[in-house]
Amino acid sequence: MEVLLGITGKDFVLTASDATVARGIVVQKRGEDKSRALNKHNLMLFTGEAGDTTQFAEYIQCNTQLYRMRNGMDLSTKAVASYVRKELATSLRSRNPYTVNLLIGGVDPKTGTPSLYWLDYLSSSVKLNYAAHGYASYFCMSTMDRYWKEGLSLDEAVNLLKKCLEELKVRFIGNLPKFVVKVTDVNGIREIEI
Amino acid sequence: MARRYDGRTTIFSPEGRLYQVEYAMEAISHAGMCIGILSKEGVVLAAEKKTTSKLLEQMQSHEKLYKLNDYMCVAVAGLTADANTLIHYCRNQAHSYTLSYNEPIPCEQLVQRMCDLKQGYTQYGGLRPFGVSFLYAGHDEHHGFQLYHSDPSGNYSGWKATCIGANTTNATALLKQDYTEECSLKEAISLAVKVLAKTMDSASIGSDKLEFATLSKNASGKIVYKPYTSADIEKLLLDENVKKILEDKEKDA
Amino acid sequence: MSIMEYNGGAIIAMKGKGCVAIAADRRFGVQALTLGTDFQKVFPATDKIYFGLAGLATDVQTLSEKFRMKVDMYHLREEREITPKTFAHMVSSTLYEKRFGGYFCFPTIAGLDAKNEPYICNMDGIGCITTPNDFVVSGTAENQLYGMCEALWEPDLEPEDLFETISQALMNGVDRDAISGWGGIVHVITPEGVITRTLKGRMD
Repeated sequence: MEVLLGITGKDFVLTASDATVARGIVVQKRGEDKSRALNKHNLMLFTGEAGDTTQFAEYIQCNTQLYRMRNGMDLSTKAVASYVRKELATSLRSRNPYTVNLLIGGVDPKTGTPSLYWLDYLSSSVKLNYAAHGYASYFCMSTMDRYWKEGLSLDEAVNLLKKCLEELKVRFIGNLPKFVVKVTDVNGIREIEI
Repeated sequence: MARRYDGRTTIFSPEGRLYQVEYAMEAISHAGMCIGILSKEGVVLAAEKKTTSKLLEQMQSHEKLYKLNDYMCVAVAGLTADANTLIHYCRNQAHSYTLSYNEPIPCEQLVQRMCDLKQGYTQYGGLRPFGVSFLYAGHDEHHGFQLYHSDPSGNYSGWKATCIGANTTNATALLKQDYTEECSLKEAISLAVKVLAKTMDSASIGSDKLEFATLSKNASGKIVYKPYTSADIEKLLLDENVKKILEDKEKDA
Repeated sequence: MSIMEYNGGAIIAMKGKGCVAIAADRRFGVQALTLGTDFQKVFPATDKIYFGLAGLATDVQTLSEKFRMKVDMYHLREEREITPKTFAHMVSSTLYEKRFGGYFCFPTIAGLDAKNEPYICNMDGIGCITTPNDFVVSGTAENQLYGMCEALWEPDLEPEDLFETISQALMNGVDRDAISGWGGIVHVITPEGVITRTLKGRMD
């Protein structure tokens, strides 16, 4: 029932993750942030097997930060996505693979060019203009197909996100009252209310 | 006296020196000279081949200059056999990085990885250090064209122009005197030829004694590694009027 | 559903007269859901060899990266271009290394050898090579593509005719497969160079 959404704009990536932690039929928490900042300009959102998700995300977070300390420079979004794909692909063929689905969004700190990568638990990685994970993809991809265009402003992207969330409210059986919405741009990563 | 402390690489002498490492560096100072010169438009690597003989089978492969990946190459001074294993290691490291990150490895990181390996051989027991110094020419998106030097101890440093091998004192003096930071690639090539001609021991210089390569950007912005063929080198020597430099050298002597 | 049909895809390679062509669709999807329409399934190994990987997307990516490294290392060590036949065996042995618990990927290789003779082959997931002298197909649209190629292919096609033949075979083949299509890409490899064209197709 978990939902991740990502939309690239003119010089930012807008991401949303549902804030619900549920196990079986019980909701355990309604204010969970299912994302980790990998570095100043790259954010990773995750869903999947409880435990695997945070464990894997924090492993990646630690390693990207270690890279920065060792080499005095940050990994680009493309490099991070490739690295994560490699780690996940290696894990996939191990005895107990991580079952996590990811969105990695980031901007180039120099040019502000946004990029968004979609990775599933099998470690297929694709660069997309807008992406969704979980049941949301069945509801929201078509909405984004219709309304996404090149060079969206933040307001336009927020409006598009609202449309997607509205669609989930109307047609999706799951009840997801709260989303954590974040913007990643040259100034860094910040949470916004919509 | 030295005997007592240089049997093993891992033992310091009372003066705080690692003799085996110093001997390794000594081995390099007898090797054919390599020059690296950085310009805004690219990097030049030039090297003197010592093992030349009419009877030697001319191999296709190079003896002193090697490509590491599409963005980096090295010049070798020292034991060629040691260099071969190190270069294989280096190429593997460079390509493993690309396998993980889908980006070429930043130059300094590759130099660091090589130096980490070299350093290990000055510390762990029972092993001899690699008797090789390298000049690395490279390009990355972070710092543009770069030139590095690494020695058997695992130290490395970045340079605008430098040389390794025999006769480095003279060559360094010449480089200091004539190098300008604004030089073009062509000027850097001329300088490399001039320094080689002035410092090489032999009276004549031909393509059999030299290896030459440049790393630069082509018209479409792609980084290209250009190893010179024998014909290229002969033409270069002619263009730079090396004969005259040699004659002048003869006169001074 | 087989894991080979999880992401979908279609790949063809054809021999022509002194040239070869390789084509693939561009869809990336998860079962029936299409997510991307510019997914790369055909990769250059050298200027004269291309390979296509049909099957599970994660293995397409893993293997393409692996072969890129292997080919680069081959070139550096051997100081000569790899030939299509050698490359095919490199691919084959890489797959067979994982004989038990292998990659879910069927590679297709197309290239010109040192004498510019056309070479095509494809193999199964554990590296068993087949080298026909007309065309090879693989992917979820394999059956449809066989029909199209049988109908359209003829010997000694010139580059432009080969392009038309392979394009028509691809576009009409994938139209009868729900999880292939969304545009295509064709590479025609000739001694003078590679002609790469993208094809617009039905986006539904």
